[in-house]
Amino acid sequence: MFLSKKKKTDVQKNSTSRTGRTKLVFLSLIFALCFGVGLSFHVFEWATQTPVPQLLRYVYEGILLFGYGSLGIVLHELFRSRRTSPARSFWTASISGLLTLFIGAAVSQIGDLFVGDIPLGIPGFDLETGVPLALAYIFKMNVLTLAVSTFVLVLLIKLQDLVLVKRSKSSQRNWYMMLGLMVLASLTVIPNEAGARLTEIQNIALIVVVVFMLMNAFRLSWIVFLSFKEKIATIGLSIVLGIILFFMFSMVGEGAVSGILVPGGYAYLDYYSPPISLFISQSIVFAMLYCTTSFLSLLFHLPTSGEFAQRAGERAAMHSLSQVAGHVFDPEKLYSTITAAPVESGSASSAWLAVADYQTGSLKPVIVATHGIDTEKIESKIDYIALYEDVAQRKEALHLEHAPADHRVSAKPGDGVGSLLVTPLMARDKVLGALFVAKDVVRGFERDDLQTIGIYAAQAAVSMDNAQLFEQQVEKERLARELSIAREVQRRLLPQRTPEMPGLSIAASSVSAHEVGGDYYDFVQLDDHRISIIIGDVSGKGTSAAFYMAEMQGVFQSLSRLSPSPREFLSHANTALAHSLDRNVFISVIYGVLDVEKETFVMARAGHCPAALVDQTGVARYIRTQGMGLGLDRSTLFKTTLEEEDISLNPGDVFALYTDGVVESRSPENEEYGYDRLLNVLSEFRHEDATEIHKAVIRDLDTFLQNREYDDDMTLVIIKWHGIPISESGTLIIPETESTL
Amino acid sequence: MSNFSVSFRTLNHIQVLDLKGELDAHTASDLEAAIHKCQSSGSYHIIVNGADLMYISSAGLGVFMAYIEEIRENGGDLKISNLQPKVFNVFDLLGFPMLFDILDTEEEAVAKFEAA
Repeated sequence: MFLSKKKKTDVQKNSTSRTGRTKLVFLSLIFALCFGVGLSFHVFEWATQTPVPQLLRYVYEGILLFGYGSLGIVLHELFRSRRTSPARSFWTASISGLLTLFIGAAVSQIGDLFVGDIPLGIPGFDLETGVPLALAYIFKMNVLTLAVSTFVLVLLIKLQDLVLVKRSKSSQRNWYMMLGLMVLASLTVIPNEAGARLTEIQNIALIVVVVFMLMNAFRLSWIVFLSFKEKIATIGLSIVLGIILFFMFSMVGEGAVSGILVPGGYAYLDYYSPPISLFISQSIVFAMLYCTTSFLSLLFHLPTSGEFAQRAGERAAMHSLSQVAGHVFDPEKLYSTITAAPVESGSASSAWLAVADYQTGSLKPVIVATHGIDTEKIESKIDYIALYEDVAQRKEALHLEHAPADHRVSAKPGDGVGSLLVTPLMARDKVLGALFVAKDVVRGFERDDLQTIGIYAAQAAVSMDNAQLFEQQVEKERLARELSIAREVQRRLLPQRTPEMPGLSIAASSVSAHEVGGDYYDFVQLDDHRISIIIGDVSGKGTSAAFYMAEMQGVFQSLSRLSPSPREFLSHANTALAHSLDRNVFISVIYGVLDVEKETFVMARAGHCPAALVDQTGVARYIRTQGMGLGLDRSTLFKTTLEEEDISLNPGDVFALYTDGVVESRSPENEEYGYDRLLNVLSEFRHEDATEIHKAVIRDLDTFLQNREYDDDMTLVIIKWHGIPISESGTLIIPETESTL
Repeated sequence: MSNFSVSFRTLNHIQVLDLKGELDAHTASDLEAAIHKCQSSGSYHIIVNGADLMYISSAGLGVFMAYIEEIRENGGDLKISNLQPKVFNVFDLLGFPMLFDILDTEEEAVAKFEAA
């Protein structure tokens, strides 16, 4: 059990023992005195052969009551519960019962040796007066009463321990009420002659007592705490005690079997003192009742003992885990708490925790915490890796009752590993680690230990899982924060506004499928009539692409001003990037210079999706000049194969630069958006300005995707050449629109 | 989830890789592993047959770039054949035909190896 079994220190006892002992001696003396007085009383009666006056008889009963009360207190002190198990209570009661039966039987035999002529079973008392006929009967009477009374008192003390397990105020009251009523009922028979029948009132009093007996007989809370084995043992002992009580009852009570062992036993008690006799009868009846309810209850609880053990285990495990839960933020502490609990609660003599090492990625288990044993010893004596892998594979606990017999354990008897329990710590069907729990003795784990540790392990696993999730969450949030910063940085690398040139309208946008992407577009105003334009796409996605994109931006912003010619620029860019690009990374680019004075657009394509050009009449084409992607070739091949195209601008010309995210977008039906559809949209909206055309393409793309998320970075730049303004007022020549399409 | 696969064939001393499905950033590592396997088994004459390759992304193209240098340094080559028109277009846009032998049929690729 995980409930802390604190050994009661004897310190407290020692301090009170001296006063306690003198009290016991004093009380014992009182009892001896009272007993002596009783004895003298009987001897006096025998000597005079006349019954004493009624008044004197009351005094005698009073003295006896006082004496036996003292005996009760003495016995209570001696037999007081020292946190013994229920089985032990039954055992003590049974043993003292057997002893009493033996004394009773022996004493009755001895008596017959002295007085041979009295028939068996007939007590040696005057039928009229109740005066003892011989000294032998006085002896038998006194010894029997003393023996049976002692037994009954011990019995009651032991039963009290059981009845008052998990006591409440009412249960405690009921118990003392029962005892009190038993005494009261007994007192009512003081005036009775020995062997006389009970009166109505006395019977009623007994009925009340029986009601209380029933109430107390069902106080069986202790059963819950028993293990299966203990229940079996207690069932056996309750049967034994029941049988003993049955014989005892036949000895003291009336009935057909009366006097088998002790002829006339009941009569002796009754002649000694009717109240004591009745009290004894009542106690034995109650004890028999209690044995019966215990027996039946134990029997019925046998099949459910597993659940009870589990419940108790759960509670205990909960208790231990309340500490564990607090260490979610500190894995080290969590590990040591998980490991310490089974040992500190007394379930094991040593424990250690092995966790798959995710850090190194080898998944080889490493010992992260030990308790009651050191790592070196474990590593030298136990092949914990093999054991770990075994349970991790089977996903269930492994119980080595005789650990040294297992080939994976080379511990000797002195090493503290007699039995070993390896429990996988699993959460969400994943093995997080294994808890090794060892006991120094062979077959040291009880069934409830196994269950408790099982439950404990399950919950410890949840705590570990939570700790890992927490860690991951923190990491995730940190990453998310950093990515959002990266996103912001990248957003600022893109132009914040499109350049303005007379006769020109430009619209551009870029979206990333992830936080950051590898698409790029940019403009540099070279002078008052030229701008350079770039669109690029770094191969791959995500963070690495984003870094190269940033590098591309740097190259463009610096190099474009120095050597604006497309071939020059791209060749230099290829050389500049060659050193930093990974071998499997390349950048596809279209670079062009637009001159509003000369009305030309000179561009070159380095592996990029061809630019689309739609003229005023709706003639559309792709400009697909030759050119390799940046980074593919690091020799002169790049420059020699690169072609330039010089396009003279006509008013109404629309250029579309885009990345493959646009044309390769897939509809839910897995169709590609495609080059044709792009040209169609451009053609349809060619009379609008760049912003409207841009909107139209995006709108069409969204319709096509049916609101699916983009799965690639997507960049679109629309450039429209409206023509040179002819009026001073700055209005543009808007080309005539086609009457029909 | 992964709808990409590579299978191996041997034609004389040439290792043929049949690609199937879509080669993108997620599946690129499969092709990497396949080419790496060819290299470690000492075969540097490789034909990548793209008859069943339906799509290739830039990350997929990157795989070819990553290994070609080493393959050629070892006296071998990687040739590409049987590409679907759309896939070939992607190779072509980036200028791959200037770096790789991209052939219509596997036989042509084999012949090219034989000729060398």
